[in-house]
Amino acid sequence: MKLNLKQLSSEERTARLKAALDAGDRLGLITSIDGDQLIMLLLSPGKRSIDCYETPVAGGTYKSATAMVPQAHWFERTTWDMFGLVPEGHPRLKRTHLHEPYTLTSPPLSHERRKAIEKTIQPESGDRRHAGDRSYHFLGVEGQGVYEIPVGPIHAGIIEPGHFRFSCYGEIILNLEIRLGYVHRGIEKRLSEVPWQRGRFVAEAAASDMPVANSLAHATAVEYLLQIEVPRLALYLRSIALEIERIAMHLSDLGGLAGDIGFLAIASSMGRLRGVALRMGELLSGNRLMRGFICPGGVVSASMRVAEEIAQLARQLKQELKPVVAFYMDNQVAVDRMEGVGVVRSSLAREFGLVGVAARASGDRYDCRNYWNHGAYPNVDLEPANETSGDVFARAKVRISEIETSLKLLINFLDDLKEGSFLVSLPDRLEANSSSVAIVESHRGELIHFIHTDARGEIQRYCIKDASVNNWTALAIAVRNNVVADFPLCNKSFSLSYSGHDL
Amino acid sequence: MHLILQYCLFAFAIFILPPSLLGLIRKVKARLQNRTGAPIWQPILDLAKLLQKRETVSNTASWVFRFAAATNASLALYLAVVLPWISPRPYAGPCDLFMVIYILAAMRFFTILAAMDTGSAFGAFAASREATLSFLVEPAAVLSLAALAIPSQSSDLIVIFSNSVDHYPALWLLSGTAFLLASMVELSRMPIDDPTTHLELTMVHEAMILEASAGNLALFEFANAVKLAVLFGLTSQCYLHALLNLGTVSPFANVCLSLGSLLAVAAGVGAFESVAVKLYWRKAPEFIAYALTLALLACIVTLGASLK
Repeated sequence: MKLNLKQLSSEERTARLKAALDAGDRLGLITSIDGDQLIMLLLSPGKRSIDCYETPVAGGTYKSATAMVPQAHWFERTTWDMFGLVPEGHPRLKRTHLHEPYTLTSPPLSHERRKAIEKTIQPESGDRRHAGDRSYHFLGVEGQGVYEIPVGPIHAGIIEPGHFRFSCYGEIILNLEIRLGYVHRGIEKRLSEVPWQRGRFVAEAAASDMPVANSLAHATAVEYLLQIEVPRLALYLRSIALEIERIAMHLSDLGGLAGDIGFLAIASSMGRLRGVALRMGELLSGNRLMRGFICPGGVVSASMRVAEEIAQLARQLKQELKPVVAFYMDNQVAVDRMEGVGVVRSSLAREFGLVGVAARASGDRYDCRNYWNHGAYPNVDLEPANETSGDVFARAKVRISEIETSLKLLINFLDDLKEGSFLVSLPDRLEANSSSVAIVESHRGELIHFIHTDARGEIQRYCIKDASVNNWTALAIAVRNNVVADFPLCNKSFSLSYSGHDL
Repeated sequence: MHLILQYCLFAFAIFILPPSLLGLIRKVKARLQNRTGAPIWQPILDLAKLLQKRETVSNTASWVFRFAAATNASLALYLAVVLPWISPRPYAGPCDLFMVIYILAAMRFFTILAAMDTGSAFGAFAASREATLSFLVEPAAVLSLAALAIPSQSSDLIVIFSNSVDHYPALWLLSGTAFLLASMVELSRMPIDDPTTHLELTMVHEAMILEASAGNLALFEFANAVKLAVLFGLTSQCYLHALLNLGTVSPFANVCLSLGSLLAVAAGVGAFESVAVKLYWRKAPEFIAYALTLALLACIVTLGASLK
């Protein structure tokens, strides 16, 4: 939705954030536009309203909110990395994106004036504000018998890079520190450079296993700035695409979970079923992953003929899924492997602002589809999945229940399709000096795209917050006191994106 | 002429059969997952490929690292020569069951040394897991064979397996199953370790040989394949003894039976592995307890029978 930037003084900032969270609101995002201010997005799902606060930052430092609001910790680290804004009093201020090999001496997203200020700070001073200081220190755990296992950034198998540093005592994980940023490609910067009409191709590449969610968030945010209405058919087709993506990815994650406990029969069955979901995507968009399907103004193509065929496939998938899920969930050893492993208690889930599957497995019923405008949502009757035990098993059950919900929604949407236009022509310019935000429930959870335009109507700042940003910390919490051998299982149960975080 | 044929068959049994058994297990798993799967002889091609590659050795590794694979392969071949795991076998010397157990332990010892020698974190923790498993599984392996030794009044496995006078099917069945379960642990197969996984943090055996490459890796893989063939071979011999009195069948039938039962055991393991779930690490002792209980039961059965 369109945002009105409200001014908030730096003294009030933490208190306002804390009060809002205590009242049941959610922290959406903390970032900056050009390094002169902090932007804070507070979401009130109950009221379906979003408050956006702008706090001027003088001298490149501000008071960190992390001590009071733990979930701010990652945002503050990233803002330091990208804008050089130092959160005073942050307990573990480390780089998130820019590693040792980066030779930049100024923060990449701050404007020229701030960059000039940064350059005056001498590296010898030992001042951590110096943007060229890329040192990184892992949290050390000491004691007799404690040892470290460094894993990654390059892993076995075709997965993205990320470094995990385990401090272990025997087989028990005492602490896990996650270091990301290896696939930082400068997506956000690039989105403010390319003409906005072409931005969708960049935006949907932010994380390649969720092109629908990213292109939908992008299109929705851009449409607010263009002030156009999207035809009903396009909204429905967007929701259909989003649900197909969710089904495909949840199936793939369930198969991955089965693979990690060596349950090969289920792993390969899930792979086959995912193929059915991808087939639906291909029928809908001509592309199995539905890349390039959603664009600002609507969708690129629509064929009513395939609707019945997709619904047929959805019903077939529903039938074929049943015995596979039953075989999976009735296996006592499989359940035993997942139950009580990788627990995130609901208090911690709230404190660290978890979203998506991880949140709903820990007793939080937050599902963006019930609150925020995207596709045909939120005007759909949808019961969010809800588990409370917060373990790997709960996350698996949430995925299964969400596949069922999505199949039901998908069939309803397909039945409800009405002929009509699916694409409107776009105005030439974005509205100048304004901000908009789109919130989408991707298969990982809450995905936020925030756009701010300058006086000429060009995109000045494009910020993407993937669900992984919130949830990577949850993984570090979940694996504590579990055995090392269960880490891959915990990791898979969160199924987080490296590139979605690194951007 | 007869002897030459025997040697040829035996050479086939120790060089071609073991990798093919691995291939068979993989094939069964693939078919049960609706995949075509690689051909059964694929592991042989893999070994040939590995032998052609150039080796990379970690700078921190000492001679122990390369010595271990060769030692393991030799010990595995020695076991294959002396143990009565398949018919025909041209060699018929003594073969004490305790010696067999400790040759297996020696193989493990060298693998563990090699794993720790490179100084990688994966190798070290896998070595610690292997050591833990090995002392848990040793009693089960010893007892299952010792139960067989009671009626023959000898600890020589050749004597035990050629004893056709005292025929107790129940004993062979119990001992064979106990030995099979112990072998699954010994060979790092499901449900203790998943041989197909790519996740280093969950591995036992595979993580120990992560640093090995080319010929060195080929030797490790070959040694493991031979060990698998020998242990499954002994199991299949136990099952054959349970089904019929082997003293009464012709040599040719014996060859066919031993080969067939070995293939059947491997296929059975493949089928089991495609529906099994890897156990939680701390539950591994429970699985080993099954093997131990069966072995104890076999001991009780045979002691009871000999008291009559």
